[in-house]
Amino acid sequence: MQINVDRTKCDNHGQCTFSAPTVFRLDEQGILQHETTADESLRHDVEEAADVCPAQAITVTD
Amino acid sequence: MSTDVAVPYLDISDPSFAMHSEAVRAARAQHWFARTNYGVAILRHEYVSKLLKDPRLRQGSGKWPDHNGVHSGLFYDWWTQCLLVLEGDDHHRIRRLLNPAFAPKHLEPFLPRFEALARELVNDFIDKGELEFVNDFAEPYATRVLCILLGIPESEWPTIARLASTIGLALGVTLKQDLGVVEDALEELYGYAENLIADRQANRGDDLVTTLVQANANGDSLSDSELRNALCLLIFGGMDTTRNQLGLGIMSYLHNPDQWELLAKHPELARNAVEEIMRTNPTTTWVTREAMVDFDYEDLRVTAGTTVHFFTQVSGTDPEAYPNPEIDITAERVPHYGFGGGMHHCLGHFVARADMAIALTALSERMTNLRISGKDEWLPDSGNTGPVRLPIGFDKR
Ligand code: HEM
Ligand code: SF4
Repeated sequence: MQINVDRTKCDNHGQCTFSAPTVFRLDEQGILQHETTADESLRHDVEEAADVCPAQAITVTD
Repeated sequence: MSTDVAVPYLDISDPSFAMHSEAVRAARAQHWFARTNYGVAILRHEYVSKLLKDPRLRQGSGKWPDHNGVHSGLFYDWWTQCLLVLEGDDHHRIRRLLNPAFAPKHLEPFLPRFEALARELVNDFIDKGELEFVNDFAEPYATRVLCILLGIPESEWPTIARLASTIGLALGVTLKQDLGVVEDALEELYGYAENLIADRQANRGDDLVTTLVQANANGDSLSDSELRNALCLLIFGGMDTTRNQLGLGIMSYLHNPDQWELLAKHPELARNAVEEIMRTNPTTTWVTREAMVDFDYEDLRVTAGTTVHFFTQVSGTDPEAYPNPEIDITAERVPHYGFGGGMHHCLGHFVARADMAIALTALSERMTNLRISGKDEWLPDSGNTGPVRLPIGFDKR
């Protein structure tokens, strides 16, 4: 599964970190860092992160 | 670190203090922050955007009861344990359970019902050529939207509105004086929420309470009292805000009739029309944080415990971020912070954005030539603001 975050939309709210903390995290500056691929077993969590992102910045592709 | 810039000072407790004022605009032109009689205020968009989500700050509402002389009791316990105030693991756990229920794909099925509601309310006053916007539209609309979401019979909206408004008194500086009525209302709302949860545990519905009860059934969950507290927060946090924002919005368009006409012709711009009123005329005129540690940010020295106010209307009209800051529903804009930001970013923003877009569409398609038709009354232009009474005359179209 591929994960893409549109940096022009992402506003570093960190809501995605609640849903998939092993894929998305905020660094010490509060800037989003994320994996670009994730294991299939995390699909539910990653899709949830994309759903809840206030800026709708995350896309998940196969 | 420069020490030669003069830092402006704003007395935000002065009854004549107003966000829409030359004094505040001059302060923003002078420097990126101001000192106030109660913490510092961040004025410019660039700095609001960076600092609002800074991990060294926590949500700043936790000490509100203590600041106002209330140190224990039912309201105190609810407030100091509610999502808005919690940080860290408890906040994550509760927010994680709630977030998916408020995501766009869960809200989609409710939108036709919001549309029908907006049309029904408009039909009730359209032939009169006049309405009292708060009572005749904004309050029933905002409350019934919540009823629809939570699966509360819509006929019960006056009770919900009364309870939400009464608990809303807790945000005023007269909290201590109002504590009795606030606690009575909160107790009544607790009972209401408890019954709602018990009912949806027994009978599935197609509402958000059912979604939450089910999500809660599989591990990593909330206690019944946490779920109850959260429902009460949704009702409290979702009603007044939406009502007030709609009132501020209609006022913005009353003063910008060309934009109103544009919206009437192009209902596809309704989402932008919502963003523009929240950017230029937000109900939540400041969002508050509290420093957890001492730190320096450029020439600002923050000590642990300092309150930091993020001025949303002031940053939302900052000419550095918005070269043409006037309302323009066709413009592409950088985000405003009327829904706050970061870990505490408003849970209900997708609902509020969608329901207000539907409301503005229903109003603009039937009403033109808006004017004030009687005596209007407003909350102070700071903190959480909006109209208390707003008589509007119009021509029907
Ligand atoms: C125009 C309408 C609304 C406005 C202007 C608004 C504004 C806000 C603001 C400014 C915050 C604080 C954010 C921060 O500190 O960064 C907030 C938080 C919150 N709002 Fe809203 N809100 C609105 C509607 C709603 C609705 C409809 C609901 C629920 C149905 C809701 C539920 C909440 C909750 C639960 C929180 C606390 C979130 C947390 O601390 O994690 N709001 N809202
Ligand atoms: S929730 Fe969205 S906006 Fe926030 S950090 Fe994650 S991707 Fe960015």
